[in-house]
Amino acid sequence: MRMDTVIIGGGLSGLACGISLAKRGKRVTIVASGQSTMLFNGGSMEMLGYVDGKAVENPLEAIASLPESHPYSKIGADRIASLAERVKLLFSDSGIDMTGSANANHWRITPMGIAKPAWLTLSDHLRIDDINRLPARRLALMCIRGYFDQPNAMLAQGLRDLGFEVEMIEFTTDDITALRRSPSEMRATSLAKRLVSNSALQRVADQFNSLASDADMVLMPSVFGQTDSSDFQMLQSMTNKPLRLVATLPPSVAGMRMMTQLRHYFKMLGGTYLTGDTAVSGTFDGDRLTSITTAKLSDMPLMADNFVLASGSFISRGLRADYERVYEPVLGVDIDADADREQWTRFGVLNAQSYFGYGVATDDQLRCLKQGKPIQNLRAIGSVLSGHDAVKMGDGTGVSLLTAIAAADHIRENK
Amino acid sequence: MVTSDIYQKEYDVIIVGGGATGAGAARDCALRGLSVLLVERNDYSTGATGRNHGLMHSGARYAVTDGESASECISENMILRRIARHCVEETDGLFITLPEDDLQYQQTFVEACQRAGIRADIIAPDEARRIEPAVNPDLIGAVRVPDASIDPFRLTVANLLDARMHGAVTLNYHEVEGVIINQNRVEGLKLLNKRNGEHVEVRGRVVVNAAGIWGQRIAQQAGVNISMFPARGALLIFGHRVNNMVINRCRKPANADILVPDDTVCVIGTTSDRIPIETVDDMRVTREEVDVLLKEGVKIAPSLATTRIIRAYAGVRPLVASDDDPSGRSISRGIVCLDHAKRDGLEGFITITGGKMMTYRLMGEIATNAVCAKLGNTAPCVTASQPLPGSEEGAPDQRDATKRYSFGQRAAIGRHGSLAARIEKDNDIDNALVCECEGVTVGEIKYAVHQLHVHNLVNLRRRTRVGMGTCQGKLCSCRAASLMGELSGDVKAAQEDLAAFLDERWKGMRPVAWGDTLREAQLTAAIYEGLCGLDKAVNMEGKEDVQ
Amino acid sequence: MAERMQICNLSEHNFEQCTKCSICTTVCPVAAVTTDYPGPKQAGPDGERYRLKDPAYFDKALKLCLNCKRCEVACPSGVHIADIIQHARMRATEGHRATLRDTMLANTDLLGTMANLVAPMANATLGLKPTKLLMDSVMAIDKHRTFPAYSRQKFTTWYKRHAAKQQDAFAHHVSYFHGCYVNYNFPKLGQDLVKLLNAVGYGVHLLDKEQCCGVALIANGLYKQAKRQARTNIDNIRTSVNRDQRVVLTTSSSCTFNMRDEYPSMLGIDNADVRDSISLATRFIYRLVDEEKIKLVFKQDYKRRLAYHTACHMQRMGWQLYSIELLRMIPGLDLVELEQNCCGISGTYGFKKENYERSQAIGSVLFKDIEKAGVEAVTTDCETCKWQIEMSTGLPVENPISVLADALDVEATRKANGI
Repeated sequence: MRMDTVIIGGGLSGLACGISLAKRGKRVTIVASGQSTMLFNGGSMEMLGYVDGKAVENPLEAIASLPESHPYSKIGADRIASLAERVKLLFSDSGIDMTGSANANHWRITPMGIAKPAWLTLSDHLRIDDINRLPARRLALMCIRGYFDQPNAMLAQGLRDLGFEVEMIEFTTDDITALRRSPSEMRATSLAKRLVSNSALQRVADQFNSLASDADMVLMPSVFGQTDSSDFQMLQSMTNKPLRLVATLPPSVAGMRMMTQLRHYFKMLGGTYLTGDTAVSGTFDGDRLTSITTAKLSDMPLMADNFVLASGSFISRGLRADYERVYEPVLGVDIDADADREQWTRFGVLNAQSYFGYGVATDDQLRCLKQGKPIQNLRAIGSVLSGHDAVKMGDGTGVSLLTAIAAADHIRENK
Repeated sequence: MVTSDIYQKEYDVIIVGGGATGAGAARDCALRGLSVLLVERNDYSTGATGRNHGLMHSGARYAVTDGESASECISENMILRRIARHCVEETDGLFITLPEDDLQYQQTFVEACQRAGIRADIIAPDEARRIEPAVNPDLIGAVRVPDASIDPFRLTVANLLDARMHGAVTLNYHEVEGVIINQNRVEGLKLLNKRNGEHVEVRGRVVVNAAGIWGQRIAQQAGVNISMFPARGALLIFGHRVNNMVINRCRKPANADILVPDDTVCVIGTTSDRIPIETVDDMRVTREEVDVLLKEGVKIAPSLATTRIIRAYAGVRPLVASDDDPSGRSISRGIVCLDHAKRDGLEGFITITGGKMMTYRLMGEIATNAVCAKLGNTAPCVTASQPLPGSEEGAPDQRDATKRYSFGQRAAIGRHGSLAARIEKDNDIDNALVCECEGVTVGEIKYAVHQLHVHNLVNLRRRTRVGMGTCQGKLCSCRAASLMGELSGDVKAAQEDLAAFLDERWKGMRPVAWGDTLREAQLTAAIYEGLCGLDKAVNMEGKEDVQ
Repeated sequence: MAERMQICNLSEHNFEQCTKCSICTTVCPVAAVTTDYPGPKQAGPDGERYRLKDPAYFDKALKLCLNCKRCEVACPSGVHIADIIQHARMRATEGHRATLRDTMLANTDLLGTMANLVAPMANATLGLKPTKLLMDSVMAIDKHRTFPAYSRQKFTTWYKRHAAKQQDAFAHHVSYFHGCYVNYNFPKLGQDLVKLLNAVGYGVHLLDKEQCCGVALIANGLYKQAKRQARTNIDNIRTSVNRDQRVVLTTSSSCTFNMRDEYPSMLGIDNADVRDSISLATRFIYRLVDEEKIKLVFKQDYKRRLAYHTACHMQRMGWQLYSIELLRMIPGLDLVELEQNCCGISGTYGFKKENYERSQAIGSVLFKDIEKAGVEAVTTDCETCKWQIEMSTGLPVENPISVLADALDVEATRKANGI
């Protein structure tokens, strides 16, 4: 089977790149090995949250000071602003309603009530633009009885520390009580599956309307809308107070929704998305990759003019570590990582861990290196790249999105 | 009893150390009618008690080299099967001979076992492969012995619970700061309450030093000298069971020659290194230890080479110079009970040390006998016949297929025996799982917090197995911390505790952080730091180890 | 051994690669509709650690698993979650006798043989209200279910009478594993395949002998019988591959998946030497077109709007690509690719009275999607999905092979392929 571009990895980065290319009429196939780490996302994108442990106010400005090894530096700090605009467009084209600005971080509110800098946040999620001008004074924090993936007391405490008045209100409905009969399956995503019909949403809204009458704003765990935001909008229309969602512990409904919408859009553009298949090897011809083979289409190599490696970090198995080494398992491309296992990690769980910065080595066009030489038609994007730290720098989703679009540009320019 | 009363009362006996030995001594003393106070500087079972194989020796391992220890083991083994059923799994064990070993040793071994009263049946290699498919198929000989696995956390808690039911007072997080001595007689202890920083004094007629390797320090505080030689052993925990019988090497005891199935996991160990006494609090496992354990471990069960390791840990055994000999040449591996009145002229002070987790009850009995002799108490010891709480006759069996237990209920009965009846299970919320790997429910957590002296998540883990599964607390620790915060009302503390718990989990994961364990760690970091921002809420900068 | 140390974690079904991320729980169609089922994570890797410790931890609720494998497709760690669950069931039910109802439902070929003999009567009787009520109460087969109609003439009979003789004349040859459904209920699908392949120069042959692939036997715990039939099938497939140099094609995603993947993993039948030679017909044909070995020419006036439903086992194999890409070659076909959702029938599962409501609840998401799609018919590679979707939406459902055969300009195709 011959394609224009084959993308290994169907997460945020792979889809963003696939959409960019498919939008320009390219035939694109994405090989997605299971679902992505977006299911651990809290409904926000982060371009750059922290430098040296300090919160970043203006990501575009701060990016200029990043080391050369950072993916943003490889893209070129001067290009980030325009790429960022295209990311926003990509989301709105996909039907994902996000707001935010690349030259002024806002604050997203984490499940533990901690404010973290963010670039874009889903408009139905609570965000704070200016810590001195909160969007509401009195919050009713609606706590779902028997739901344990929202640390309510921590969230309330965190919000109070930010200056809100918070009333914690426990509630339930018949649908929720029925779900709790399962000892294990009361998760954000299972709630979202049950709270879909108008009657189920009305029962939730009734609780809000009767219990939260003193509040300026009703806050609720993000357990609505697996496929789009219509359930939330319905609930908002039934509730007589402004309603906002706050991220839960995973699996994340917001992440699932965003992935569904991006996938839809990609398919609508004519893209092929191979679910649950895994790239296992590639065939090289000199400095070019000619095809890759997947586990399930084992005897039909996928040939293409261009390839993109968007296979993610260790979690997603885009990178592997064993007893002896760190490596990239599909194509065996070069890796930036310490050879000595002792160096991969540090004691102190909250200390920066070296392995977070490990990844595929690339040149300034994001081309993968193999034995030190660039592979002309193979680019790496997203978490598989070395030189950034999603956890400590708050740059994970930003790197995924911006390198995806930059790589799509390179692919088009090289034609 | 209100706290001030606890501190003001004069006790017959104060026991220092909340490991199995201290707990066993407290139970024995309480059952003989003495008024008892037990103090522990950290949580119960944090020392050597919680840092070994979880192996209930048949004694076979010691049969050739130390017949006395072997006899003690088999006799205690049979007792524990009766009194601590809910802590014991009767797995039996194999002693295997590999091609590189001397098969002649098997005969020596079996004869020694027989002398010690340990049943030891030579079985054909084929039979060994059949009853334990995980065993190295190249084995050339095997002996079946009555080894078993035992949960030291449960065992310690059951002893403490019984002691309390019989009037004992037990305090964790109380560290001995000084020994109160009046005219060559120990009269009490100065304590630091580590939870609130308060300094207090407690009084007792006899003080029993059951502090394991840390007993040397306690003795020093009393002005007497005991020479201890810490022997450190490291172990690895695999993500699930590969074996259902204990597997030993049939040769002279050496590194990494025992693989024990413990609850849902299996454990290979140990290394054995003498270390300086100053380093006994450093429990980090080194790369070299991991390498040795793996290299030897795969000889016992080849599948260990491809089985995920979820953590590594180390413990320190207190070996005692039998005669004050500082060189360490004449070390006893057996139980050492020192009456410091006879030895050092210091009245009211007894040290019980040496021995093994396995012989904790006997150590408790020996210490209690010494205490009773001083106090003129003549009540007989009943700890060998009276079942521990949870193990009474007729206790429910988690294996009972006729009962419609939920996963969580079955797991809880397996952990708490008859005491599982105290866990709330009549509503959906109490039955909800907090820890999905290990089947720990909201009800079980409430029970542990209210009745098993749980002050933090690490305590909770030792009482219930929260966070001990494959994911090492990734999903459950937030749920558990949130519940604890609600129960205590102190949210900030719960958040700090959560970070400390994750750090404690990481400490064990780090030495084996590759493959899926590294993935697990990255996901945990992505959730707690990336998604939740826990690192921004607590200040652990520079803190490397949190007890 | 030392050099292999800890290079990878190799456990059965990739059991311990599970990082407990819980993603599988988000796609389970059963957990989505009932709290009686503990979900794939708890039923699979979590429960397995306890079952390894003690088989008494087996939970009877595991029988609610549809074995749709959607958890495996979603898993980012490659854990064979459904296999873990199915194996646990197998261990726990070893030696148990299946009920009459389950035995009857599982023996699709036996039921078929009997029904074929008296097809009009069987169809009438199985469709009668009193019969349905009787089956509902006595056999616990849900009264809402209609047994698929039995054909008067078996496919094999048709083939011998009308097709067999012509097949040797072709330049290339394949074998066809028709399965129970084509043989007893819907010979037309088999005829369509013969028509299609003949038009591109391929002769279609039957195996020396074939038995039901046994997918329903496995689902109903009749492992011994499933093993016997699997051995017969693999032996005959081997003959076809080795003696006749013919690959073996099927038109059922479930038969294909069962023979390729479940034979080794569930029944311990080694098929490694012939696994690659067992293929779904759409995959085989797509590959020929892709490699430009054959050409398909379609009718100019063909115009239809269809929705493609990815059957669960199709998704597990990752082969929907072939069917979809083939269908997209038909110029007049407006194809809507439905979101991947389970239809709820899962072979015989939905036929059982105790599962009926759950089965329909599971399918409801898909049925709504189909309704929204505004199509005249649905196309899918699985026959049990067909029954379920036809019963629940009232729309006809066709196999992609039938759609292709229908749209094919036979004469032009023959000419294009030089026949």
